[in-house]
Amino acid sequence: MIKIENLYKTFYQEKNESNILININLHIKKGELIILKGISGSGKTTLLSLIAGLDRPSQGKILIENDPISKLPDLFASQLRAKKIGMIFQHFNLFEHLSVNENVTIPLIPSTLSMKEIYKKVDKALELANITHKKSLLASRLSGGEKQRTAIARALVANPDIILCDEPTANLDKENSLLFIQTIERLHNFGKTIVIATHDPLFEDLKLKNRIIPMVNGQIVP
Amino acid sequence: MNEILLSNQVIIYLLSESTLFFLLAIAFIVSIRILLQWDFESFNPIQFTLEKQSYLVTTITLFVFAMKFFLLIYFVFTIDALALLIPGAMCGAGVITANEYGTPLLVLKLSLLALLILWFYMHAYDNRTKNHLYFKQKSWLFLVIFFFIVLELFLDFQYFLAIDTHLPVSCCSALFGQLEGANPLPFGLNISLLLILFYLLYFLVMLTLNLNYKLLYIFSNILFLYIAYYSVVYFFGTYIYQLPTHKCPFCMLQSDYFYVGYFLWASLFLGTFIGISDALSSLWVKKTNLKHQKTVSYLLSLFVLLCTVYIAVYYLNNGVLL
Repeated sequence: MIKIENLYKTFYQEKNESNILININLHIKKGELIILKGISGSGKTTLLSLIAGLDRPSQGKILIENDPISKLPDLFASQLRAKKIGMIFQHFNLFEHLSVNENVTIPLIPSTLSMKEIYKKVDKALELANITHKKSLLASRLSGGEKQRTAIARALVANPDIILCDEPTANLDKENSLLFIQTIERLHNFGKTIVIATHDPLFEDLKLKNRIIPMVNGQIVP
Repeated sequence: MNEILLSNQVIIYLLSESTLFFLLAIAFIVSIRILLQWDFESFNPIQFTLEKQSYLVTTITLFVFAMKFFLLIYFVFTIDALALLIPGAMCGAGVITANEYGTPLLVLKLSLLALLILWFYMHAYDNRTKNHLYFKQKSWLFLVIFFFIVLELFLDFQYFLAIDTHLPVSCCSALFGQLEGANPLPFGLNISLLLILFYLLYFLVMLTLNLNYKLLYIFSNILFLYIAYYSVVYFFGTYIYQLPTHKCPFCMLQSDYFYVGYFLWASLFLGTFIGISDALSSLWVKKTNLKHQKTVSYLLSLFVLLCTVYIAVYYLNNGVLL
């Protein structure tokens, strides 16, 4: 499903070179749940950005179902992302002035679907994320947990095979974090491939069959 | 100091051309490095760096080439405005023939317009492939264009520096009107045959465009451009000026004629150049369909319509033809 080979990411600031990712090799199978675990600055978020095609590596290969997302021109990378990848961010990244319903509809706007089909998909995603009852409210009026559930619905609306979560519980209390984990468990049961970058110890107690990949200083610890 | 170089229009024009050239020179240097090392199948750090640099080069090139379209219009406006400074000149015709660099410069600028449009097509085709299939062709074309732009900048300066504001030039009537009985039309045509050919070629362009006969389409476009130029100068122009003896491709750019020349020449040159570039690029990349049939149809139809309307309006107002 996702194949990462020899991946490096280096940032340059003036004359300083900073190696964020060093020789990452990872093979994620379809339906797998991966926890990228590490402290801040260990390279988890950068790795997720590269998998999503939001940034380009300095060296190495990322294949998503044999499509080299790290090399695709922007147009094709966006198409691949829209079709196959859903993202959930630490700060939710919602449009605060739009309603829950509108936030979840946004990923489908570039599609060729009719409005009727779009509404159907949006309703289904809202139900899966358990946020239907708040669908008319503005995002700015939601609590942290509700914002996260809206973000989940938005990630699910295009029915992607892969869900990438970047520190999804960092801004949530324990109760909401556990609710989020329950939702993730449900999605995993649907066969979605899920990659979560987190340093939240709650994820270590997951009952699900998953793989924890520790990262330190941009490297995967064997 | 040369009076011409103190003119606002010339200062703006030369400064803009020089700035764009400076940007393009950066893109040129980076392009050569990219072309020498480009291997899209590779995942090594050099290739990733080259891909990033190619975004920069493409952004610069897109910007500069887009600006060149506007600068061509501004160049035409400038030479028209300079008619006030040069004795004998009544419009851009006298200014452009003020020295030996003017006409080659104008022809070069129009040729460059055709090449820029061809580059835009190659760029569009390249962007639609997952592995930048036409990147090398597009870059080679850019290098060729760059050399033409070097020549253009050289001619720009030579032309404006060599204009002598004390030396009288010929006006458009002398250049296009008084030919002492000689037939100025191509292939020994007379006006009636020229007009028949003009409309026949327009229909041939439209027909070959819709039937997707690319080679015939390119050929008919080139011929239409050639015949249309003479038709406007020696026939349609006289209806724009409402004077049978006034034959000039430049006077129609002036406010007296509501700047109609800009619309006429822009629709003719853009229509034919887009058509030719579209067909050439699709032959080059071996794609079957022409992409901008509608754009070409609209531009050339606008051109033919504008020309025809002037005759119709004149006839309706006066009951006779010139």
